[in-house]
Amino acid sequence: MSFTSFTYIAFLVLLTVVYYCIPKRMQWMILLAASYVFYCSSGVRTVVYLLFTTVTVYAAGLLLGRLNAQRKALSDADKAGLQQRIRHRKKAVVAAACVLNFGMLFLLKYWDYTAGLLDRALGTALPRLDLLMPLGVSFFVFQSVGYVIDVYRGKQEPQRNLAKLALFTSFFPQIIQGPISRYHQLAPQLFARRSVDYEQLRAGIQLILWGFFKKLLIAERVGVVADTVYTSPSSYPGSILALGTLAYCIQLYCDFSGGIDITRGTAQMLGIEMTENFRRPLFAHSLADFWRRWHITLGSWMRDYVFYPLSLSRPFGRLGRWSRKHIKGKAGKILATSLATFVVYLLIGIWHGSSLKYIFFGFYNGIIITTSLLLEATFVSWRARLRMEEHSRAWSLFRIARTCVIVFIGRYITRAPRLLTGLAMLWNTVTDFQPAALLSDTVLSLGIGWTDYLIVALASAVLVAVEYAQERGVHIRQWLAARPPAVQFAAVLLPLLLLLFGTGGDYVPAQFIYAQF
Amino acid sequence: MDKLIEILTECCPGIDFRNETALVDDGLIESLDIVTIVSELMEAFSVEITVDDLTPENFNSAQSMWDMIQRLQ
Repeated sequence: MSFTSFTYIAFLVLLTVVYYCIPKRMQWMILLAASYVFYCSSGVRTVVYLLFTTVTVYAAGLLLGRLNAQRKALSDADKAGLQQRIRHRKKAVVAAACVLNFGMLFLLKYWDYTAGLLDRALGTALPRLDLLMPLGVSFFVFQSVGYVIDVYRGKQEPQRNLAKLALFTSFFPQIIQGPISRYHQLAPQLFARRSVDYEQLRAGIQLILWGFFKKLLIAERVGVVADTVYTSPSSYPGSILALGTLAYCIQLYCDFSGGIDITRGTAQMLGIEMTENFRRPLFAHSLADFWRRWHITLGSWMRDYVFYPLSLSRPFGRLGRWSRKHIKGKAGKILATSLATFVVYLLIGIWHGSSLKYIFFGFYNGIIITTSLLLEATFVSWRARLRMEEHSRAWSLFRIARTCVIVFIGRYITRAPRLLTGLAMLWNTVTDFQPAALLSDTVLSLGIGWTDYLIVALASAVLVAVEYAQERGVHIRQWLAARPPAVQFAAVLLPLLLLLFGTGGDYVPAQFIYAQF
Repeated sequence: MDKLIEILTECCPGIDFRNETALVDDGLIESLDIVTIVSELMEAFSVEITVDDLTPENFNSAQSMWDMIQRLQ
């Protein structure tokens, strides 16, 4: 059941009515039933993986909760030896939960690819699993493992009701493409008893419409251009390859952030506030800043569960002490943390999929970010020589443009079918640009016509204007609420009309890109 | 406290550590700064700061960091 289908809208309307009409103590049960109906609508067979994750993290949570309670109950006299034993048991439980769930993820997502690599390298004939990939598997595994680690750290009490934990792991709006929520943020909201809040309903509907606007008016159109160019890249000169990549950049942002808007809007209709996953990445000043604004919940998951533990681990501590002693200046101080940062970006790359291109993408991001950290002082001296003020508009624009170019180059790698194809396309863009092709009929042979280009241009202009206003601190929905009713009505009606008549009669929207991760 | 302010200013120049009270919440220091600060604090004050101590509340101001150090010593 796609977010952009009429079935989903009917499902959501029905659920909202039932949710607010039934006794409040049963509201979370309806959400659980709806979540499993939604998940099973894309295939019943893959639900077993979701159940496996739910049961394993439930059991791990209970065991950890019991060990936490035992540790608290220890008297001072018992403490030394017993605490050590309990700590070891806790580590074993959390390790088992991680191995089982990440192991399942590995088998589903990476095994066939790894077996292929090993076969080629070692001449073996390892079996392939060819398993059906469950929807949103990376999202629900990461979210569930985060819960177990929080219980392990004593930051979270375990959930003793299996059905309630099952709702947390399967909550339908976020299961396809996130955001990756934290238990303490989401769970209390899922189990709360609610009455209809018309403000929340209206805000939720507005956010869903905004998501449709991004996905259906922009992403779907530019996606056709990107697909056409990337299907036969050797047929086009560099400028068209760049146009196709630009189309993909726009498609990816509008598809993913539009999907997240629909997710958050859906939850808001049910009175649930979900974490923000995008904060205007177009205005990022550096690649590190871009990753703090793009897929925020994956970044914060990596920060809390990978970066911090890795940076504070004994080997990294030893490396830090060694580098501070032997390498002078800032480089010596941040070498260990830069290495941890590099590992995190490599993992983010691999998270996206089992292909050499994603590993390269991880390296690409990791190398740029760690280099910029290590050479920060040099860059500051360059800026001083250019007589640029740090907070000047020109410097800010330069930084935004530089980040856009870095991200743009990275997209060649992830969109191309193979790493070498992406690199060859990048090379052709530089060496064989042929700008005149952008004014030729080639542009109109990429799957969409002038009307579509015009709709994309207008809709993108609206999107950039809205995000620019938000960047300057304007709260768009509050601003809209303060306008006369006619303006508010038009703001809802116009996108609706555009969506109804601008998408064509026999038009079938594509699946969300991030659903495959 | 003066020693702490000195370390913080060296790690993240240009921030008013004596008066800021929302260093993490306002994005003035980020994860990388926090880890750099932590490694400096562990060395300077001989304390063991673990992942569990890495909460925004412990790093939002110089005072909260000082309180954490006192607690861990």
